[in-house]
Amino acid sequence: MPRILIVDDSPTIRKMVRASLRPLDSFDFVEAANGLEAIEQVALSPVALIVLDLNMPDMHGVDVLRFLRNHAGSREVPVVVLTTRGDASSRDAAMTAGATHYLTKPFAPQALLSAAQDLLRGAPL
Amino acid sequence: MTQTGSPQDDATFPDFLDDYFAECDEHLTSVRRLLLSLEGSVGRPEINRAVLDELFRHFHSLKGISGMVELRQAEDLAHRLEDFLRVLRQGDALLTAAGMDALFDGTQMLEQVVNVRRSGGTFPKVRDVAARIAQLVDARGVTRGEDLSTTDAEPAPPSTTPLWICTFSPSADLVERGIRVDTVRGRLTGVGEIVNAVPRVSADGSIAFDFLLAAHLDEGTTAAWRVDGIEVTRAPDATQMAAASEPADRDEAETTSPGAAVSSQFVRVDLSRLDELMRSVGDLVIGRARLADTLSRIEPRVPAGEWRAIQEHSLMIDRQLRTLREGIMRVRLVPVGEIFRRMPFVVRDLARETGKRVRLELRGQSTEIDKFLIERMMDPILHLVRNAVSHGIETVDERVRAGKRPEGTIVLSAATAGDIVCLDIADDGRGIDPDAVIERARKAGLTIPSGPADSATLLSLICAPGFSTRDESDRASGRGVGMSVVQAAVEELSGTLSLETEKGTGTRFVLELPVTLAITDALIAKTGPETFAVPQGSVREVIEVAVETLLQVEENEIITYRGAALPIVRLSRLFGLPETTRNRLHVFVVGTGSAAIGIAVDRIVGQREVVVRAIADRLVKVAGISGATDLGDGHVVLILDPAMLARQMRERPDRIIAGARGALA
Repeated sequence: MPRILIVDDSPTIRKMVRASLRPLDSFDFVEAANGLEAIEQVALSPVALIVLDLNMPDMHGVDVLRFLRNHAGSREVPVVVLTTRGDASSRDAAMTAGATHYLTKPFAPQALLSAAQDLLRGAPL
Repeated sequence: MTQTGSPQDDATFPDFLDDYFAECDEHLTSVRRLLLSLEGSVGRPEINRAVLDELFRHFHSLKGISGMVELRQAEDLAHRLEDFLRVLRQGDALLTAAGMDALFDGTQMLEQVVNVRRSGGTFPKVRDVAARIAQLVDARGVTRGEDLSTTDAEPAPPSTTPLWICTFSPSADLVERGIRVDTVRGRLTGVGEIVNAVPRVSADGSIAFDFLLAAHLDEGTTAAWRVDGIEVTRAPDATQMAAASEPADRDEAETTSPGAAVSSQFVRVDLSRLDELMRSVGDLVIGRARLADTLSRIEPRVPAGEWRAIQEHSLMIDRQLRTLREGIMRVRLVPVGEIFRRMPFVVRDLARETGKRVRLELRGQSTEIDKFLIERMMDPILHLVRNAVSHGIETVDERVRAGKRPEGTIVLSAATAGDIVCLDIADDGRGIDPDAVIERARKAGLTIPSGPADSATLLSLICAPGFSTRDESDRASGRGVGMSVVQAAVEELSGTLSLETEKGTGTRFVLELPVTLAITDALIAKTGPETFAVPQGSVREVIEVAVETLLQVEENEIITYRGAALPIVRLSRLFGLPETTRNRLHVFVVGTGSAAIGIAVDRIVGQREVVVRAIADRLVKVAGISGATDLGDGHVVLILDPAMLARQMRERPDRIIAGARGALA
C-alpha cells in the first residue's frame, strides 16, 4: 500500500493528523517524531505524501524539506507543511524550500483532508 | 473547503483530550524543571541558551496543541510566554526578577487552565498575567515573527575527547533487526556526546546519516557497530565538519536541544495496559501456586528421580516468574522527582505571599516509585510542604529573635529501603506546640488523651477529622484538605505516617509506603482455623512471646520490648476466633517508635508471594484488611493492613494505651 508520512514532534498532533486523514483508507500511515526519522522513512521506502511540522527539536522542518527536495526519491513528493507559525516569513521560507501546501495549526480536519486528497490526485492547489 | 486555520465547529478533536493532557503534563514538567534552572540567571547578561531554546520549544508545542483542542486561554498564555522567551533568546532583554516572576506565574496559570479543562471548575482569569508578560515583551519593542537571525552555536565538544564520524545507512534489513536512526542515536549518546547529526545523499543516491561524535571509542565497540550498519571513521577536523553541515541561511528561529534527541527512545504506555499485564502476571503467580500445591500432593506417588526433575522445573518457573514480575514493576517506576519538581514553585509562591524566607532542599529525586503512588502522593506531599511553609517556618523577625538564621529550611527527601519508599518532609521552624494542639482539639470537641502528649498523640490529634489549624492559613496550606486526608491517603496505600517534632526546633513528617502494590511478599500466619497474610514490607520484626509475659493493663495487653511498652493486638480477639492453647505466640512488630504495635498470631507457617486483590465491595470491606489473596489451594486468605490496625489500636481502644505507656514509664 502507498504510504503517507506524518512528521511532528507532538504525539497528540500526529494522532489528530492521522484521524483527519482516516478517509484515505487506501494508504498506510507512518509517523516520525523528528526530521531524521522522517528522512529515514523516505530512505526506506517511497511515500506518496508528507505532512510536515516546522518547529521540531533537532532538525528544522525547512531543513528537512530542503533535504527532501535534493534527494531523487522525494523530489516530487507533495509536502503539506502544517505549522503553528502563521507569519508570512515562515510561510515564504517553507514555500521557497519546496512545500506544496501550507496549513496552520490549529487546523480543521476537513481542510487537511481536502488538501491531501487534491495533492494525491495530482491536482494543483 | 474550509478556510485555513479556523477549525470548523463540527470538526474539532474532542477524542484527543486525554492525549492532550498527557502531553501537557510532559511539557509542563519539563518547563518547571527548566525554569528552576533559569532562576540563577536573573540579572546576568549571559543566560543558558540551551535552556531558553528548550523552554521556547515547550511553550511553542503547548501553544500548538492547546489551539487544536480549542483551549484558548492556554493557547494565549503559551503564546505570550513563547514571545517573551523569543525576546530573551535574541538577547534583547535581560532576565529580571520581574521577568522571572512572570515566567513562573504564567506557567502556573497555564497549568491551572489545563487542570480546569481536565477536572472542571472555573477558569482562572488569565488576562492580568498575560498582560504582564506582553508588557515585558513590548518594553523591548519586539514584534512577532521578526526573529530571523538566530542561529545556534553548536556546543563545543570537550577538547580532549576525540571526534568520530559515525555514518549510518538505514536499510529494511536493519529495521527488521530493530536498528533505526533513532536507536543508533541512542546508542551513540550512550557512549559520548553527539555534536552534530546530518542526513546526506550518498554517491549512489541512497540516504545516510552522519553523526559527529565526541567519545572515547575502542576497537571492539566500532567493530560491533559495523555489524549494525554504523561505519566509524576518525573525524579530520571538527570545525570543518560543523561548517559543512551548517544549513544554509536559516529563515526562522529554531530550537535545538541536545537532550531532546534521546526522547524518541521512550515509549509512552497507557498505565491501564501495564495494570492489565500486572493482572496477568498475578494470575500466573496464583496458577503457579496451585501447581505447587498439586505437586506437593502427588509427591508420594512420583519416583524420586522424576520428582527431582519436576521440582527443578517448578523452581525455575518460580524464579522466572519473579524476574518477570520485577521487570513489569520496574516499568511502572518513575522518579519521585516528578512530585518534587513542583515543590520549589509552591514554596516560592507561598514564601512570597507570607513574606517568609524559605530555602527548599530536595534529596533523592531519582528514587523510583510506582507511577500510581506518584499520582496518589502528589497532594499529600503538597499539603505537607505547604504546611511546613505556612505553619512550620517562622517569619524572619521571629527567627532572628529566636537566634536562628533568617532563612528557614525545608528538606524534602526520598529514599528506598527494600520494598519500602520513605518520603521525608522536615523543616527547621517553630515545631508543633502540644499545648496549642490540645487546646485546639478541645475546642473542636475531640477526645483528648490523658498522659504525656507525645508525637504519636499529637499526630493522631492533628489527623483527626474536624481538626484544623489556624484559619488564615487554611487557604494556603489546606485548600480544604486537612491532615486527615493526608493520613487517609497514606493508609489507603498501606503506608504509614509518622511525626517527630520539637518546639522551637522543627517538625518532620515521615511517610513510608510500599514501592509497589499488586504483588507482594507476605508472611503467612495462622490464628485458630483462619489463615492471614501479612505484607512483609510492613513487618519490622517477628518475635516469639510467651503468653505469660503478656501484661494486662486495663483492657489491653502489652509486653516490654526493647525497654519500652509494646501494645499487642491478638488477631484472635480482633476477629473473634478461638484462643490458642499454645503457650507461645508469634508477634509481628509493625510501625516505629511510639506508634509501634505488635500483632499476635498463633504461629507463622511460611512466607510467599501473594497477589493482592482489593476488596471492592463496601459491605465486605473491613478496617484492617487490605485485600484478599488466593494461596493456590483454592482458599481465599485475608491480607492484613498493619498500618490500619496500628491506627485503630491508637484510636479506638483509646487512650488506655497511652495510659499504659505512662504507667510503665
